[in-house]
Amino acid sequence: MSSDFETYEQDFGTLTADITNKIGRIPKLSGEEKTQLVLNVDKQLEEVRELMEQMDLEVREIPAQSRAMYSTRLRSYKQEMDKLEKDFKRSRIAYSDEVRTELLGEDAASSESQRAHLLDNTEMLERSSRRLAAGYQIAVETEQVGQEILSNLHSDREKIQRSRDRLRETDANLGKSSRILTAMLRRIIQNRVLVFILGAILLLVIVLAVFFKMRGR
Amino acid sequence: MDNTGKEKEAMQLMADADKKVKSSGSFLGGMFGGNHKVEDACEMYARAANMFKMAKNWTAAGNAFCQAARLHMQMQNKLDSATSFVDAGNAYKKADPQEAINCLNQAIDIYTDMGRFTIAAKHHMTIAEIYEAELVDIEKAIAHYEQAADYYKGEESNSSANKCLLKVGLYSAQLEQYPKAIEIYEQVATNTMDNPLLKYNAKEYFFKAALCHFIVDELNAKLAIEKYEGMFPAFSDSRECKLVKKLLDAHEEQNSEAFTEAVKEYDSISRIDQWLTTMLLRIKKTIQGDAGDLK
Repeated sequence: MSSDFETYEQDFGTLTADITNKIGRIPKLSGEEKTQLVLNVDKQLEEVRELMEQMDLEVREIPAQSRAMYSTRLRSYKQEMDKLEKDFKRSRIAYSDEVRTELLGEDAASSESQRAHLLDNTEMLERSSRRLAAGYQIAVETEQVGQEILSNLHSDREKIQRSRDRLRETDANLGKSSRILTAMLRRIIQNRVLVFILGAILLLVIVLAVFFKMRGR
Repeated sequence: MDNTGKEKEAMQLMADADKKVKSSGSFLGGMFGGNHKVEDACEMYARAANMFKMAKNWTAAGNAFCQAARLHMQMQNKLDSATSFVDAGNAYKKADPQEAINCLNQAIDIYTDMGRFTIAAKHHMTIAEIYEAELVDIEKAIAHYEQAADYYKGEESNSSANKCLLKVGLYSAQLEQYPKAIEIYEQVATNTMDNPLLKYNAKEYFFKAALCHFIVDELNAKLAIEKYEGMFPAFSDSRECKLVKKLLDAHEEQNSEAFTEAVKEYDSISRIDQWLTTMLLRIKKTIQGDAGDLK
């Protein structure tokens, strides 16, 4: 009888050790593995409960003298099993430490990166404002250059207008001189024609005079 | 080598031309086509002068051109004479500025006689530039620029006239003839205000006028600025106007630091040029002078 009880005790010991181990592992896992492990632990807890019942029966069959020792042992085992069950329940919902560090670790890291972020931002802002100032300067210079160019254009425009007027005047003058020249040419031709006619008349007169003289003789 | 050869050739030509002129002076020469001779001589003088120019002997070139010009005058070729005088002036510019000015003056007389005021004005400007650069006689330069501006106005070339007037204003302000400068700048500014091409310049002129007012009297400057803003609304937006207002405030408070501050700020965006620095320095001295008095 007691050897049975001892075997039961040994089984109980191994099972509880296993269960504690698994319970420790459950919070770290998630998803598929977690459900499997949970089912495992559930099964093992069932086994432990059955063992407890059998140990109970065994202890009842033990004679009264040695029963006290075994019953105390049984009670402590029972307490242990309860504790295991409670742990098991808690482990299914608790957050493990690792997950906590995972979360907080990111937090700690992000506060660092936030500072770096802010510094980056300030530097970018400064760079942008410097570039804006430079751009403004260039714009002002461009405006000045534009002013100069415009005033040059204006004076060139006046020069061109004046040249055009003068050109028109020259054109008119040329027309006038061309007309004068044609008039001169005409007069020259007239003169020449006149000279020829006079010459012809003179010649005629001379011929007539000679003719009449010949006749007269 | 080539140049010295040219020079010798040129001197030869000059001698020949001189002989021709002398020979045409005699009675016989005068009878038989003396004019031809004189014309030939003119041409020879011109060629000699060009050769001197090639040899970079500017005084000799100028001399030759002057001779040619005088011969042209003898022959009553006013136009040719004037052009020769101008060539002489250009040649002398590089060697003897005073001679250049003389020649140019003679050319101007001929041109004004003929009624060609535009060219005369251009030559006045050239003379003024010579005074500005080589002889550094600012008063005479101002006189010539004024004359040029008047001639340009007469010929309705307003932008050239404005250019000359601006120079007059610049130099008068430098010589502390502020009322004249103020008048000129205001006049030019009102003229350019309406012209769409030139209105971007107007604010600069108003600024300069305001500065001149400022040097004379601060109250004047305030009234002037208000007047200008009324006439030309775009002026009040410009950085120049803001600068003047800041300077006025600094002057009222006798705060030369604020003054320098405002000037530095303006300078960081667009460089302050020579004239502006001089004017601003004068204004600053008045502030410090007043502060000294108060002490």
